[in-house]
Amino acid sequence: MQIGFYFDQTRCTGCGACQVACKDWNDVDAGPEKWMRVQYMEQGRFPKPFVSYMIAPCWHCLQPVCAEACPAAAITKREKDGIVVVDSEACLGNAACNVKCLKACPYGAPQFGPQTAAKMRKCDFCLERFEQGKSPTCVQACPVRALDAGPLDALEARYGSCREAVGFDYSYRTRPAVVLKAKAR
Amino acid sequence: MPESQNNRSDAGVRIVRTTSTFDCGGRCPLRLHVKDNRILRVEGDDIEEPGQLRTCLRCRALRKYVHHPARLMFPQRRTGRRGEGRFERISWDEALDSLAGQLKRIKQAYGNEGIFLATGGGYLAGLHNGGFAATRLLNQFGGCITHYGNISSEGAVWASLTQYGSVMVGNSREDLMNSRLIILWGWDPARMISGTNTMYHLIRARENGARVIAVDPRYHDTAATVADEWIPIRPGTDTAVFVAMANVMIKEGLQDRQFLDKYTIGFDRFKEYVLGRDDGVDKTPAWAADISGVDAAVIERLAREYATTKPAALMDCQGPARSAMGEQYNRCAATLCAMTGNVGRPGGSAGGGLMGIPVGHMFRMSAIPPGKNPLEAEGPNVKGTLDIRLRVVKRVHINKIFDAILKGKAGGYPADIKLMWSMCNNYLNQTGNSNKAAKALQQLEFFCVNELFMTAQARYADLLLPVTSAAERSDLTRPWPSGPYFTFMNRALEPLGECKSDLEIASELAERLDIRDFNPHSEDQWLKLLVDHNPEYRQHITDFEAFKRDGIHRVKLDEPIVAFSDQIADIEKNPFPTPSGRIEIFSQRVADIGNPGVPPIPMYMPAKEDRFDPLSSRYPLQLITPHPKNRVHSELFLVDWLSEVEPHRVWLNPADAGVRGIKDGEGVLVYNDRGTVAITAWVTERIIPGVVCIFEGSWYAPDDKGIDRGACANTLTRDDYSGGGAAVLNTTLVEVKRETPGSQPAEPGPR
Repeated sequence: MQIGFYFDQTRCTGCGACQVACKDWNDVDAGPEKWMRVQYMEQGRFPKPFVSYMIAPCWHCLQPVCAEACPAAAITKREKDGIVVVDSEACLGNAACNVKCLKACPYGAPQFGPQTAAKMRKCDFCLERFEQGKSPTCVQACPVRALDAGPLDALEARYGSCREAVGFDYSYRTRPAVVLKAKAR
Repeated sequence: MPESQNNRSDAGVRIVRTTSTFDCGGRCPLRLHVKDNRILRVEGDDIEEPGQLRTCLRCRALRKYVHHPARLMFPQRRTGRRGEGRFERISWDEALDSLAGQLKRIKQAYGNEGIFLATGGGYLAGLHNGGFAATRLLNQFGGCITHYGNISSEGAVWASLTQYGSVMVGNSREDLMNSRLIILWGWDPARMISGTNTMYHLIRARENGARVIAVDPRYHDTAATVADEWIPIRPGTDTAVFVAMANVMIKEGLQDRQFLDKYTIGFDRFKEYVLGRDDGVDKTPAWAADISGVDAAVIERLAREYATTKPAALMDCQGPARSAMGEQYNRCAATLCAMTGNVGRPGGSAGGGLMGIPVGHMFRMSAIPPGKNPLEAEGPNVKGTLDIRLRVVKRVHINKIFDAILKGKAGGYPADIKLMWSMCNNYLNQTGNSNKAAKALQQLEFFCVNELFMTAQARYADLLLPVTSAAERSDLTRPWPSGPYFTFMNRALEPLGECKSDLEIASELAERLDIRDFNPHSEDQWLKLLVDHNPEYRQHITDFEAFKRDGIHRVKLDEPIVAFSDQIADIEKNPFPTPSGRIEIFSQRVADIGNPGVPPIPMYMPAKEDRFDPLSSRYPLQLITPHPKNRVHSELFLVDWLSEVEPHRVWLNPADAGVRGIKDGEGVLVYNDRGTVAITAWVTERIIPGVVCIFEGSWYAPDDKGIDRGACANTLTRDDYSGGGAAVLNTTLVEVKRETPGSQPAEPGPR
């Protein structure tokens, strides 16, 4: 089985509730370490601007290149559900390996705090919640229900198999576990 | 490890059902994970979808607010100069003796009128509310001077009372699903929560096929998400466009004559004005285009589309009414709602700006009985009056508090204010002209502030009393403009540090002021009493214990609530609560006031500091100050999880930035005669040229040159109000220039 995320870009208002809920549930301080990010895109000219938002958690790729890049084998993809997890204890720290995982990831998912020798942490699909049968906190937090999560095949059955959105490039190399609804200009 | 690492193992974690009490416009069920008197995590509503009442980012960060290291934890007394922010810790006994002593001294020296009580919307609940305890105390102490009105919505309140005789002018949010056209006029619910889930309902209405048009100086996030079309407009000119839309409808015979004949009075008088039969000015789209910056052809098309698409919801929010002539905007919107026959109809709207529904509304909550203020016993009867002049005989308009402190009776105010006691507010920051406010606070003989944080205003206190957060109290809350449901707050934490609730503070002061039986009940007894004595609770809450346990009682409705549907169904049996029993497009009550600032029909009028004011030659940009998304006004300002979501910046169109040599991300000064703020420029195509935008609520922080480094929007705004009582915070002219490090602005604001 492979879990994944669904994101409806047409509904996202960029409010940031997913980002804050993620920090709350996972107890991550304010600062550069954001397991869920909300990216802002502005195109076009007045009076016809075009604005869209794109979320950026870890997409729990089918081919996690971060795991291949890690010199300490701290990143693994779980067999039973495809969640990509990091053993932060085993991580060498950002200085020691010069953030090889982050450089490998096309989506910037691996996160490091501001402290020296910060260990990598990232979205783990709210593993603790997942094991209790609950969806990730970002999904529960979205005021406009732009997010969903679950087995990828179930998401595809429900929402189709679109993998394009403004500000998102599907990587055929890493194969992120995602279904998208794109905002059209 | 990060500082916030908590012991999060499940053992001993309690789940507490509560809500916040912020003045946010929503009210959301929260489940707080609590252990060792600390909130570890926040979860939201847990009923099955659809129908979850989902909280926003603000309460997702609640624990960072409640447990913020900057929370005030013990009473303090000022040691430095006022405003310098130097304090020393004192005991509660010293603090309460000091405040009681000052109250007695002022009463003896100047009478009770020397005492000013500033309450506010900082926490909105039944028991621990914005100053009811202190009001009750001071009323029993012989009275005090206080303020009238609220900074947010007086224009909308006046308009709704004039037009409909009621402030309950909203439809259930679910009713948006019935609309074919939705016009967001100055309405951005992605940011300003107009009731929990409102943005979600709006998105679903769009997905259901409604066309959505946003009329606004900004292409805000709501528009970016749902609008098929953005019509950029200059601030303060909305009424002119409404009048021109009416002009198009009248000339093309598009108005709903039957509706107007049956349900309204005074349309003919409005028509005379619109067609210029009284003043010779035909209020055509071309006329409005010159004023508003909206093309005449667009105004014509909008008028036709709104008049012919049924049903259509014109959603006129309060921001544009927070301006000079603000009430004319909501009144004119309501008039268009009547002209198109959309009042009282599913999928339509009544306008009026308030959007509240009459079941379970916060306004209908019970609170601690404040009693009567002896100082107001002799005043004019202000109940229901539309004459704002009567409301400021005994009280001070909320946007004039600091002017009243400075000028007193000689300035036409009801008293010479010597002592101010303040709670649940940060008015220095949140009313017009913060520099003037800072000056006024220097003039007081004594200033006591009940607070959770060292806010911009609290820095000026002589005495600081630390107050519990809502998580440290049990209480009753209600949704603000939408619902219907009722929420119960279970106390999650024992009071942190030495914090006390305002009610406890008032109760302990009562003993020192020789007031007997001030607070005869425990918190639990009060809450039960407030439920038992409220007609709406009595009707809906049959099991008080279940209400407490669940933290919410949801009212099941067969159909969404539609304001005034009873009147539209049978106007003879159910007249509008106006003198005529009809929607009053012409109001005799207003005509009788005889104030040219509030004409009896809605009209567009020029105003001080509008875009045509000669002052615009020096300050050519209009400033708007909408609600921030990552705090509630100035509450939550210090919460870093929220501030990192959106930096505090001034929005500038590239055309305005270009001629000033300003690049995106640069430091700029925004200034006028009232002050100067230092802020980062955000150059964006999302704002109409000629207008800049700074979200309100950032904390005022003047440096030694008087430049507000906190970039509080109200450092630039004016402390005045319109004929209907609206604070004029969105009627402000400014100029912007680059801040070269180390240099002085060409025209620095007053110190």
